[in-house]
Amino acid sequence: MGNLELISVNIPHILITIVNLLILFLLIKKFLFKPVQRILDARKAEVDKVYADAADAQEAADRDKALYAEKLENAEAEADALLKNAAKKAEQNSDVVLAEATEKASAMLKKAEAEIAQERKKAVNEIKNEISDISVSIAGKVIEREINADDHKTLIDGFIEELDA
Amino acid sequence: MERAIILAASAVGAGLAMIAGIGPGIGEGYAVGKACEAIGRQPECKSSVTSTMLLGCAVAETTGIYGFIVALLLMFVTPNMFIGKL
Amino acid sequence: MNAIENLNITGAKILFETPIVLFGQKLVITESQVNSWIVILFVAILCKVLTHNMKIRPESRRQIIAEFIVEKATNFVKSNMGERFAGFAPFIAALMALSAFSSLLSIFGMFSPTSDLNTIAGWAVVVFVMITYYKLKGGLGGYLKSFTQPIFVLTPFNIISELATPISMMFRHFGNICSGSVIMTLVYAALSTLSAVLFRWMPGALAQFPFFQIGVPVVFSLYFDIFGSLLQAFIFAMLTMMYISSAAEDGEAARAERKLRKQNKHRKQEE
Repeated sequence: MGNLELISVNIPHILITIVNLLILFLLIKKFLFKPVQRILDARKAEVDKVYADAADAQEAADRDKALYAEKLENAEAEADALLKNAAKKAEQNSDVVLAEATEKASAMLKKAEAEIAQERKKAVNEIKNEISDISVSIAGKVIEREINADDHKTLIDGFIEELDA
Repeated sequence: MERAIILAASAVGAGLAMIAGIGPGIGEGYAVGKACEAIGRQPECKSSVTSTMLLGCAVAETTGIYGFIVALLLMFVTPNMFIGKL
Repeated sequence: MNAIENLNITGAKILFETPIVLFGQKLVITESQVNSWIVILFVAILCKVLTHNMKIRPESRRQIIAEFIVEKATNFVKSNMGERFAGFAPFIAALMALSAFSSLLSIFGMFSPTSDLNTIAGWAVVVFVMITYYKLKGGLGGYLKSFTQPIFVLTPFNIISELATPISMMFRHFGNICSGSVIMTLVYAALSTLSAVLFRWMPGALAQFPFFQIGVPVVFSLYFDIFGSLLQAFIFAMLTMMYISSAAEDGEAARAERKLRKQNKHRKQEE
């Protein structure tokens, strides 16, 4: 069959070479670049999605955090109010109790005073009676005269009343 | 006789054509030397200097390659062409 | 001695001759075409294997390699041609793969399609068509006028330099690979001659056995086959990108200039 010359121009051969190059270009584009590009795009989409998800999660977390902070603040305020209320109530209660206690004490005191006064009156009356009895007996002995006891009693009562006055 | 003269002349011509190799040799040597200087001065540019130097060398080599092609033509193509006509 | 005598440096072997005639030349199927089809098949299978069963989360090393190649190629094209030419990445990758693998075929002792001028002429024609297309985008008038710059006398030289672009690309690639293969052929022939001379005393077939061809050519092969091949593939791709992007810039500059001129004309008419 022979050989081509070392340096020769064969136009059909050149055309075949051009077609070869274009075929290889299409093959490489179709079998190497397209699939790899598709994979790279898919990966990029996935990464974007992951980032978006992360951003969403971050946002949600921030929102929750804010919510919790607000709630916590509210709870603190409530607790404060509760505490204050309780203190107030306790104060009020203690006032009432104190007042009651004071009242009771004063009532008891009054009662005690009244009792004392009564006792005293009673004692005074007793003493008066005794004194009048004694004085009657003394007077009877002194005057040696029989006098009606009732008369004497009225007499001495009048005397003691004068004495009181 | 004519055949011998043609072959001899072709061989001499091919040898003379390869004198063209001197130019690219000197030029590329100079370029490589300069590239070495550049790399010595800025070692961080090594890769870009190297690729640029290779490209420049390839372009500078063209004349030498032309000489080589002419030598090849003289050695292997023209003798057959002329001898066939004899 | 007969190794040197048998040494013939020729182009691709013609494997099959078709009766079809195109442009006055017979369409022949040569070794270089068949080898470049092998390369194309190999690259296609490689692509298919690398991108087989890809996952969003890479599990296999193949997928990482595939992604690495694609990203490297895209970044390479973007850094050399600018962001808007990112669509050129598959083309540049195809050019580089075809060039590199074709040249590397010579490691296996096959005829490398890149040491056939016609193969690279085809690529250079494609690149030239692209360059011209991007220059013509700025308008036919501007394109033709650019040949008369800076003065009218230089027109023939400008035409020559325009045509020299693809021709120099073609000869550069071809010359490098072909010189490599010519030198390798010479080295093999020289080594077989040397071993034939040195081991003539050996009995029988051993006397003809080229002992030096084992191992010694590796040193040369390392430079001419591997380094040269990859470097030429890189340089061809690089030059393609540079020429195309500078042509696109030229075209855009011409278009901007035309627009400016039109505006000026309008303004003058209004005055």
